[in-house]
Amino acid sequence: MTTSSISSAAHLRDCIRDASVRGTPLRITGAGTWLDAGRPVRSVESLSIQGLSGIVDYVPGDLTLTARAGTTLGEIRHETGKHNQWLALDPHGSDKGTLGATIATASAGPLASAFGTPRDLVLGLEFVTGTGSIARAGGRVVKNVAGFDLTRLMTGAWGTLAVLSEATVRLHACPQVDETIAVAIAGDSESLDRTRQLLRRLAFTPYACEVLSGPLAMSVLGRDEPVALFRLAGNIESVTAQRASLLELGQPVDVSSEAWTSLRAAEPTDAIVFRLSRHPSEIGTTWDEAVRLVDGAPGALLHATPARGIVRCILPSSEPTMARIGSALAAPPQSKRVGERMPERLWSAFPNRANSEIGGRLKQAFDPRGLLNPGILGNTV
Amino acid sequence: MAATSVASAPSVSATSSIDQALADRLAAIVGARRVLFRPSELLTYTADALPSYFKQPALAVFPGTRDEVVAVVRELAACGVPFVPRGAGTGLSGGALADGVVLVGLNRLTRVISVDPDNMMATVEPGVVNVALSRAVGAYGLHYAPDPSSQAACTIGGNVAENAGGPHCLKYGVTTNHILALEVILPSGEIVTLGGTDGENEGYDLVGAFVGSEGCFGIALAITVRLSRNPEGVRTLLADFMSIDAAAQTVSAIVATGIIPAALEMIDQATIRAVESSIYAAGYPTDAAAALLIELDGAIAGLEHDVETVETLCRANGARTVRIARDEVERTRLWQGRKKAFGAMGRVSSHLVVQDAVVPRTKLPEVLAQIHRVSQQNRVKVCNVFHAGDGNLHPNIAYDASDADETARVHVAMREIMTLCVDAGGTITGEHGVGLDKIAYMELIFSPESLAAMCTLREVFDPERRSNPGKVVPVHSCREWHMSPAARPSASLA
Repeated sequence: MTTSSISSAAHLRDCIRDASVRGTPLRITGAGTWLDAGRPVRSVESLSIQGLSGIVDYVPGDLTLTARAGTTLGEIRHETGKHNQWLALDPHGSDKGTLGATIATASAGPLASAFGTPRDLVLGLEFVTGTGSIARAGGRVVKNVAGFDLTRLMTGAWGTLAVLSEATVRLHACPQVDETIAVAIAGDSESLDRTRQLLRRLAFTPYACEVLSGPLAMSVLGRDEPVALFRLAGNIESVTAQRASLLELGQPVDVSSEAWTSLRAAEPTDAIVFRLSRHPSEIGTTWDEAVRLVDGAPGALLHATPARGIVRCILPSSEPTMARIGSALAAPPQSKRVGERMPERLWSAFPNRANSEIGGRLKQAFDPRGLLNPGILGNTV
Repeated sequence: MAATSVASAPSVSATSSIDQALADRLAAIVGARRVLFRPSELLTYTADALPSYFKQPALAVFPGTRDEVVAVVRELAACGVPFVPRGAGTGLSGGALADGVVLVGLNRLTRVISVDPDNMMATVEPGVVNVALSRAVGAYGLHYAPDPSSQAACTIGGNVAENAGGPHCLKYGVTTNHILALEVILPSGEIVTLGGTDGENEGYDLVGAFVGSEGCFGIALAITVRLSRNPEGVRTLLADFMSIDAAAQTVSAIVATGIIPAALEMIDQATIRAVESSIYAAGYPTDAAAALLIELDGAIAGLEHDVETVETLCRANGARTVRIARDEVERTRLWQGRKKAFGAMGRVSSHLVVQDAVVPRTKLPEVLAQIHRVSQQNRVKVCNVFHAGDGNLHPNIAYDASDADETARVHVAMREIMTLCVDAGGTITGEHGVGLDKIAYMELIFSPESLAAMCTLREVFDPERRSNPGKVVPVHSCREWHMSPAARPSASLA
């Protein structure tokens, strides 16, 4: 596969126009850290936006930042950290990932419980459509209803309607105190329900709360027992009270904030990764379904986001696992399934992501020649 | 759909087909009392809350149930008649005005369909009044967070159309951050479900695309919203300053601490005086150059700590007095002055123009000084009452529209103010919408290609452009606007 590296929005436009003339579909990539995410793309050429990088505008007092799509999350973390600010996005993977890919795939991690997903933090975008038009939507201010919301349309569209070239995001000031706490729990569905009920009742929203299965807690924290991992933040008085309110779940133990970095990077290369979800109140049932699905797969890791009703399943890839999970997934799903990464043959168990009449019309309108990431969301008609 | 119907301007064919026969057919659906066809009956619907635009609908129809909405929209689709959806008519951009087309009033659809307190969500019909929803879920200790100042009258359907904001959106986000799913009838009569509640939403963010589409993409039949917990504690502070600059610096200082106030509003002297001489008097000091209304909320533990931090910052940045509401009565009174400020302006003059630009927060002092200069140069009286925390300005000018000279000066001043906000890196509207009022400014901030992309999105939902025609995007700026679908390259679908 040949790869072109992009240096400007105009260059990106020219490449897309050229591909259009040649009728050549393109695989759009960022840092290339997650190339196996999404369905297989039918393309012979690859277009990398990694070279389109750098912070364009950052006025700390505005708590907004504009950067080119290829800028890494690490660079944004570094620059904003100098001013005691941060971008509250922690997608799975690492800070080597790019802002553009994070937004394009709407990737979110544990912080989404408190800060929402990329759609809630993106303020404006510049992008190049499949017809080769450079367009902007939204702006650089924190509130904006000028025109139709192409910003949200493009966020999570997996680069199938347009390729992102620049984004403006909302930042937050760092809290006075930011603690990571682990509480050992039973790890059964009842303990998941209890954790979710506690979160629902609390007068505050933790920055994050993830329940880790025993094997995952072993890999992240070095302790082989299921835990509820909390990130508590605010002023000292508030965090002290937050901590005390977790006592009904179990004894809170301080752990290093590195746990979050390890959790983001917990999946081995080539792992099969997917998520199950339904209403948060059904988290126990969803967890049980996940446990049943991965039963017998060596090294399976699970974690749940109780406040969002999501369970994420990570399975080290092997032939026996593939066969086993393939047949397990063939059973009718009780929860909504979202695939992250897996071999091509497993994808049939995951519904097409853009499979709606309107989805098809959008694809036809913005990328009529089907040039951009064809197939990554499944069929769009 | 025939290419010819796209090429022709909607209103040309529309006017001819909006006749007694159509009125009769609609009356058969909703009942004769719910169809207004005589010009005198339609007068009420010639304006919204912005008293500067008057457009007469050819007909107004008020369905009372979901099925009636569906039947009305399908009847209009069958005869190719354009329509404008309307909620309570409290909009501030002329967005719900129907110029010679059919107005579809949705304010009779007031049912709260379901509430799921455990998962903190509710499904409502579009005509449910914003504050009525919060009241309906109050027993569960929940509320619906976006709170436009018109919340006592405006509808959730209208809020969705405009992506409405409000003072508390600084901390809690605007409408689009609170909509989980929508059942929508497209202008073609097709019913689609956007988003969902049982698990993660994947694929294109169609909820995000629909919210804020200003009635141009169809009509929401059912809206599922996210509810928020009522805060355990709320503290409301009023700080007054002898200079606008000092107040603006205080805003930046508070935001920089990491404390996100539930609301952070600025009220300038002209507004304070208008409010204090009205029935909405809130006890604001009339000699202050500006006042900040600051609200902090959340868990009680740590709240006092934040109140102290904010109070200290106010004083350090030159606040003359900082008053903390002692009880709910005082808190309500402090808020009343802010929420009813536009009403109070009514005392000043008969007409009012309101803007809604947003500027980067750090540009507030500079922009406010420039607005002051513009008002002096044009001899108009600009009042400023706005969401300072997110830089969302509401400069408004009260004037007498029967005075042609004053009216002309007002319009010049408004254009200058909008231009200087855009030059400061801002946008033309933060929460009121483009509608008719700001359509002329769209080209100030968007290139023809960007506007064309918006037209493309609109055509996915409404290829005939019959829903709220002529709003949001200037027709002439869209190159593809005039291209019939048949002339476009066809998709090789992924």
